[in-house]
Amino acid sequence: MTDAETRPATSAPWNSRESATSAPRDTVLDVRDLHVYYHTSRGPAKAVNGVSFTLARGEVLGLVGESGSGKSTIALSLLRLIKPPGRIERGQLFLDGRDLMTLSEEAMRRVRLGEIAMVAQGAMNSLNPVMRIRDQIIDAWVDHGISTHRSEIDDRIAELMRRVGLRPEDAHSFPHELSGGMKQRAVIAIAISLRPKVIIADEPTSALDVVVQRQIMETLSRVKEELGAAVILIGHDMGLMAQSVDRLGVMYAGELAELSPMRDIFKDPMHPYSRLLIASLPSLERKGSRRGIPGLPPSLLDPPAGCPFHPRCPSVMDRCRVQRPPLELKREDRLVACHLFEERP
Amino acid sequence: MTTLLEARRVSKIFGGGLFEKETTVALDDFSIRIDNDPPVITAVVGESGSGKTTLARVLLGETEPTQGEVRYLGKDLRSLSRDERQSFRRDVQVIFQDPYEVYNPFYRIDHVLTTPLTKFGLAKSRGHARELMTEALQAVGLRPEETLGRYPHQLSGGQRQRVMVARALLVRPRLIIADEPVSMVDASLRATILDSLQSLTREFGVSLIYITHDLITAFQISDNIIVLYRGSVAEAGRAEPVVQQPEHPYSRLLVGSIPQPDPDRVWSAEQPASAVGRGANPAVGCKFAPRCPFAMEMCLENHPPLFQTDDHRVAACYLYRDAPTLPEGPIDQVFVKPAIDLRAPAD
Repeated sequence: MTDAETRPATSAPWNSRESATSAPRDTVLDVRDLHVYYHTSRGPAKAVNGVSFTLARGEVLGLVGESGSGKSTIALSLLRLIKPPGRIERGQLFLDGRDLMTLSEEAMRRVRLGEIAMVAQGAMNSLNPVMRIRDQIIDAWVDHGISTHRSEIDDRIAELMRRVGLRPEDAHSFPHELSGGMKQRAVIAIAISLRPKVIIADEPTSALDVVVQRQIMETLSRVKEELGAAVILIGHDMGLMAQSVDRLGVMYAGELAELSPMRDIFKDPMHPYSRLLIASLPSLERKGSRRGIPGLPPSLLDPPAGCPFHPRCPSVMDRCRVQRPPLELKREDRLVACHLFEERP
Repeated sequence: MTTLLEARRVSKIFGGGLFEKETTVALDDFSIRIDNDPPVITAVVGESGSGKTTLARVLLGETEPTQGEVRYLGKDLRSLSRDERQSFRRDVQVIFQDPYEVYNPFYRIDHVLTTPLTKFGLAKSRGHARELMTEALQAVGLRPEETLGRYPHQLSGGQRQRVMVARALLVRPRLIIADEPVSMVDASLRATILDSLQSLTREFGVSLIYITHDLITAFQISDNIIVLYRGSVAEAGRAEPVVQQPEHPYSRLLVGSIPQPDPDRVWSAEQPASAVGRGANPAVGCKFAPRCPFAMEMCLENHPPLFQTDDHRVAACYLYRDAPTLPEGPIDQVFVKPAIDLRAPAD
């Protein structure tokens, strides 16, 4: 490693290393060196600052982080839905080998919902209040140029409703006639109506009670199995991650601090931020065991030099203040952006 | 000693008027006494529609109960004199879920802190007011110089909520009612805010009613927990056993639904209601019977009373019908006082 290196490694090195060291992955999505800035009067806020990861077919990848860590911006970037003053500055988004960044707006519109679908935060409020659920599903089909015979439409909608645990007759309801949990199921029905390869679920249960939350997560995991789709689950509830994902990416200040199999992160977190995050989780076993992470996340307008976590890091070294650690393979299957660990040869 | 705040057989029924035929029992025959010597933290837990927010509003005198009464120092809230009302407003403070709604965006943060000081005549001078505000902000871990003089939108959600905690403590109340105070805040900040709420209430001798749908934080900070289901107490008692060995099938469902941050503790699947339960009419029998995997014939006939399963716990479920029923009276008769007096200096 060169000592003067202060830029993050671009994706290529670790991507190739990853595939060289783990079992061959059937990659459906490959995000490389994604940078998304929001341009403000005080300069660019680097919401996503060089993020790379891959998603295998059928995999559930979790992205956790505090608000402002960039996780929702990544979700919107994958659909190329970043609106001004936000902009994807650079990076590549390969979906089955095709770079979405090079597609025309028209082609991209077909990718949305057709190949990558999103169940957004509070999505139940994104349903059109004056349209029956059924018509909103048909709308999506028409929009994607799928023509179905009238006779078939009813069967297909009934099938979709059953998949998400609703009754076929619920399709004739207006959104306000359904409970919060049922609306969220309807949103999932729309999301899977075109059999996407990737489902992005951004805090899909944050407005729901625990019992309904579990039902929705079960539904999501069942439809994912049936479709063979991959899922990116975004949120800040580590409990939900532990119960739902295969691999977990821990975001901090627009970067991935760690990306590892979920069990490894919970059993043996490597990045100091992951460690503090897991130590701060309240439990049902012991009272008073929680401890917040001291300090505040950095300003995205003026991020600290070196490692973005260094001002709060209990293990900070001189090097961390000047040199930004790239996300590298430190152990088998474990990508960590931290100078504490030697790179795996 | 006169009880600080007491709810006596309070019920609140919505609807049933001229236009709304259907009635909703938001709170059903609820009784509790709350004192602050020693200060206790009581959590009220339930899903949306459980009646927990109605309970908060009734205790604050913002919603008039349909039946029963709420008494402040022995006197019905509806018949307080002007002076008594003023002292009630000072003794019982509230923290709401969304700190944004409380702030007027055109006023600086200082405004929400000076208002109560002026209203209750607590500051002797401008300098003294500043001193009290500085102290209160520091107590919740905010830097006064970075907070005062700012506008609400310049603070983060967590900071705004901490200002609300500071404000509630500023007037030295005897009880704080906090309705979902951290549900809009990032998980990493929740612990910090609840920590300061817990330690400050102990330190200042303030009791706390913590209303939430989050059993984990309820367990973390409270002495006793009340689990509400559709306006009725399903289970109540000392926090540890209620959460660690829940008895009522509804509490079991709630605890089982919490996604544990431990991959080895698998999310248990929800058990379907029993065949008997599926035909239940919640207006007649147990309100939970239509969802209950253990529902029996007797659950269809009457809503169960509270059975006292041990010294510090009650459950409204016929599974525990061999236990004695709780004598008439407030629910807190089974509650524990805090085990140690945390106001004493540590070590």
